[in-house]
Amino acid sequence: MLCQICKKKEATIMITQVIGGEKTELHLCKDCATLFGDKFSIISFPQFNLDDLLSGLLKAFDLYSQEEGRMTAGEIKCSNCGLTYQDFMQTGKLGCSICYQDFRGQLLPLLRRLHGNSEHIGKVPLQAKNKLDKINQIKRLRQELQEVVIKEDYERAAQIRDEILKLEGVTKKKDAK
Amino acid sequence: MPSNNSKFWLKNLARSSAEWINGCGPLSEVVVSSRIRLARNIEAIPFPHWAKEEDLKNIYEVMQQLAQENIIFRKFKLLLLNNFTPLELQFLVEKHLISLYQANGKHPYRGCLYNQEETACIMINEEDHLRIQYILSGLQLKKIWGSINQIDNEIGKTVNYAFSEKEGYLTSCPTNVGTGMRASVMLHLPALVRLNRLNEILKAIAKIGYVVRGFYGEGTEVMGNLFQISNQITLGLSEEEIIDNLEKVSRQIIEQEEKARRDLLKDFKNYLEDQIWRAYGILSQARIISSVEAMELLSKLRLGVELKIVSQINLELINRIMLMLQPAYLQILAQKNLNASERDIQRAKLIREKINPMNN
Ligand SMILES: [Zn+2]
Ligand SMILES: [Zn+2]
Repeated sequence: MLCQICKKKEATIMITQVIGGEKTELHLCKDCATLFGDKFSIISFPQFNLDDLLSGLLKAFDLYSQEEGRMTAGEIKCSNCGLTYQDFMQTGKLGCSICYQDFRGQLLPLLRRLHGNSEHIGKVPLQAKNKLDKINQIKRLRQELQEVVIKEDYERAAQIRDEILKLEGVTKKKDAK
Repeated sequence: MPSNNSKFWLKNLARSSAEWINGCGPLSEVVVSSRIRLARNIEAIPFPHWAKEEDLKNIYEVMQQLAQENIIFRKFKLLLLNNFTPLELQFLVEKHLISLYQANGKHPYRGCLYNQEETACIMINEEDHLRIQYILSGLQLKKIWGSINQIDNEIGKTVNYAFSEKEGYLTSCPTNVGTGMRASVMLHLPALVRLNRLNEILKAIAKIGYVVRGFYGEGTEVMGNLFQISNQITLGLSEEEIIDNLEKVSRQIIEQEEKARRDLLKDFKNYLEDQIWRAYGILSQARIISSVEAMELLSKLRLGVELKIVSQINLELINRIMLMLQPAYLQILAQKNLNASERDIQRAKLIREKINPMNN
């Protein structure tokens, strides 16, 4: 029997879990069992093994591979870190924060399955967000500055320069604290 | 920061103890400790399993600088785990300062930044770039959230967290995305186990999205009737909701455990007292004891203390013994490698010395 996660290697380990009184058996290869065993907790007494995350994830993977039209999704690569969706399917781990953008279409159904939701409503990192906004704003202003200088609009250039200085000043003051 | 002094701090750690050991928190008759951990990553830098060495170094150094310069972190100690032995790493896992995942990790620049009280620690280059953890004794999730939130904000002033409006804090594994928060409580439930009432309760809480685990967290066995209950869902709920829900669930289980204890006392008082005092007897006299047997007996003794049947011992002592009897902790204390049977002898000796300080 082939491993139910990677579907490549021979399954040598069976995990029994009882979810809502229903017994499920999972046949996994040694590699997948170590990988997911650590992640999803195999508690040695079966009555208490309530972690249905793994089966949720498996269902999502199954669903995914059944959809013929999506078979090429495995080839998608993250533009920032180079991880492929195939890599993610094998390890269960993403490569970087940009993967969430680049694999968005594939990840959404998985997130819904794992969490019952796909939208964050909790804490927002204010400081970092402000800072990031500011950096982007400075970048935009620098570009505009180059453009207006080429157009010899020095009045506007002076305005932009002051704006940049102001923004940079604020960032620096914050850093110094 | 003394990353080269890491080994020195390690020795200190064998003698020091974390706040949660004191056993003085609210509802400590049933709740051993509460814990929250936040998974955090830095924008665009590959997650540790996929990162290059220089990325990992970069992250380690950002935290090192923070520890030197930031007033909040100035009293924290920083351990660089690179040249720690497997035994030393296992010891840190047993102290709850690093995770099993981090101990088993192969990549360089794994680190641990912890405070003097050992309530807060920041695991560096774990599964995520940062895992912030805060532990207190008893049921104190709200207080923990207040403290950990502040630490998180402070780090957020220095680094750009990987965050998207839709998916929240972005994590290496999609099971943690959103709040990146895992909140958990460690409950001592001997009466529910004894009366076979726990199965039903655990089935019910699993249906509403909670996970039950053993003493060391993910992937571990339950020992000594200690159950760790934590939230599974991290996306689509606010931090406050996650904490509120877990606290409600915990209070219900605590109520059930207390009822079960009253029932035990009503119907089997003599039997219960006999079991507790026998446990005390064996622990104070045994010459060879395995960790499984010791944890079982300590659970009975703990129940005796919680029910005020045993008064010469307190919860702090039981917590301390429970920590020290673990394999790596024993060997760090003995300052030599011990095989399994040597450990069983050493463990019995340590327990005797702690339980009967007069005779030693
Ligand atoms: Zn496999
Ligand atoms: Zn990526």
